[in-house]
Amino acid sequence: MPVFEYQGHQLYYELHGREGDPVLTIVNGLSMRTSHWGPYFQLLPDLGVRVLTYDMLGQGASSKPVLGAGFQDHADGLYALHRYLGIERPYVFGISFGGVVALRYAVDHPDVLGGVIPVSTFSELDAQLRGHATNLYVGLVRVGFGFYLDLLMPLNFSNEWIAQQQDLIQLIRRVGVSTNELYGIQNLMESLAGFESMTPELSTIKAPALILNGEFDCLTPRHLHDILRREMANSRLVLVPRVCHAFTLEIPALTSRLLADFIHAVERGEWTGDQSVWISAEDPQADPLLTLCEADHLRAIPLAPTPKPPRKRKTAAGSFDQA
Amino acid sequence: MSTDYDQQRRRLHKCFSQDGLVGADDQTRITLFIQSLKAINSGILAKLEFQPLDWAPWKFLHTQYYRELEMATLMGRATSWSTNPVVYLEASNLNLGLWNRTQAWDYLQAPLAADERFYRYLAMSHALLSVVRLIPLLPPSMPLDTPFLQALHDVEEENGRQIQLQIRLLKELDMGMDRKQREALVEEERERVEASYLELLASLCPEQAEQG
Repeated sequence: MPVFEYQGHQLYYELHGREGDPVLTIVNGLSMRTSHWGPYFQLLPDLGVRVLTYDMLGQGASSKPVLGAGFQDHADGLYALHRYLGIERPYVFGISFGGVVALRYAVDHPDVLGGVIPVSTFSELDAQLRGHATNLYVGLVRVGFGFYLDLLMPLNFSNEWIAQQQDLIQLIRRVGVSTNELYGIQNLMESLAGFESMTPELSTIKAPALILNGEFDCLTPRHLHDILRREMANSRLVLVPRVCHAFTLEIPALTSRLLADFIHAVERGEWTGDQSVWISAEDPQADPLLTLCEADHLRAIPLAPTPKPPRKRKTAAGSFDQA
Repeated sequence: MSTDYDQQRRRLHKCFSQDGLVGADDQTRITLFIQSLKAINSGILAKLEFQPLDWAPWKFLHTQYYRELEMATLMGRATSWSTNPVVYLEASNLNLGLWNRTQAWDYLQAPLAADERFYRYLAMSHALLSVVRLIPLLPPSMPLDTPFLQALHDVEEENGRQIQLQIRLLKELDMGMDRKQREALVEEERERVEASYLELLASLCPEQAEQG
């Protein structure tokens, strides 16, 4: 089992793909573990990207210090892991809690980063997100880990996915409870207790940034991703259709294509970070994959097209009249 | 936990997958061990019932005391007890080892107070409540629809709620120790409980263990 000894603790990691390919590091969401990324271990190397996944302190097969770890420790641990593995120009992709760690890494280590991919994440806690976080925390500590997973299920996945997986949901839940330590995940949540907005620091991130947001992500909705887009000059925001907070688990083929296209564009020197907003196709093979979003991307209401102003017609007298 | 734990976990997973149930001998071993954990914790907490109420954590420690008694008796009621006397002999030895390793008697001497000994008790009881998790050793597809497995599940879930007291106090009590000292103390207590838990795991599914 590959482990990195870090400050008296063990960080479990896996590295998949060809040496020499650009390396994408995946930073887990709160109650995830390395094995959640199984499909990516094949998909991304097939697209010419090497994958590094690891469990943060408190997760999966890594150490779970009883007294917890500070939020900064997670970004520092990842930086140390990169140094240990000799990865010089990583792309760091983090989802949800892991997205915040990825942003922290990007702020702290701007010179070593190939690019950053914050997904289903945030740089500040607004009232709704704080409310969700409180509910999840209380559910975890007062009811139990199973209930915490129950709360997350409809936030994480689309109706279609839940309906298709109905027979497996209880199994997934049981595996989730069995493979996590309640206090380990609780410590991760508590490391955000004193979290202060990172938004003022985002403008210091100069690395290419691909921001991904699921269309129906109600946990970390669009406006939180738009803050990242507005503050990070070298960024683009991509909206992923019909999916929710944990879309990376639901549509790994499409997500892999988005990640690989971004990395190769940066590697070829073709990346343009112009803070534009794009909509992804649903088909991972689509060409082109992205369409420029020209509507108001912050609205969810499908407004009818605004009627065009009435045309004016030239009259015989040469004046303009209503058509 | 160690590679020994991973080995035992794999072995038991295989054993329970094949058998599809936890037999009376193993139920007895598990219950006697859990009851021993609960006896240690509730034995220490019982002293509190004779102490003044003006200590901030009193209410929470009081609740935990009765919860621990409840869980111990629930396991007793839900177990299909073994008829093999050797199982009880082995379980007694295992539990004696647990008492020796944790030096549980040391906490039974004087009233509880906010001192280093209390902090060590919190670390030990955190381990009692979090180390022993048997449900994850069962195949995820194995139904928990027997009285024993349901009770075991309820105990492990209740442990997650009760441990909140230990977590809060371990993090927030100022014992004049720096973080590294506190971490070392917590880890030391954890290793003691883990050592006994490993012995319990090694004793389960003995036929399968002998086969290799």
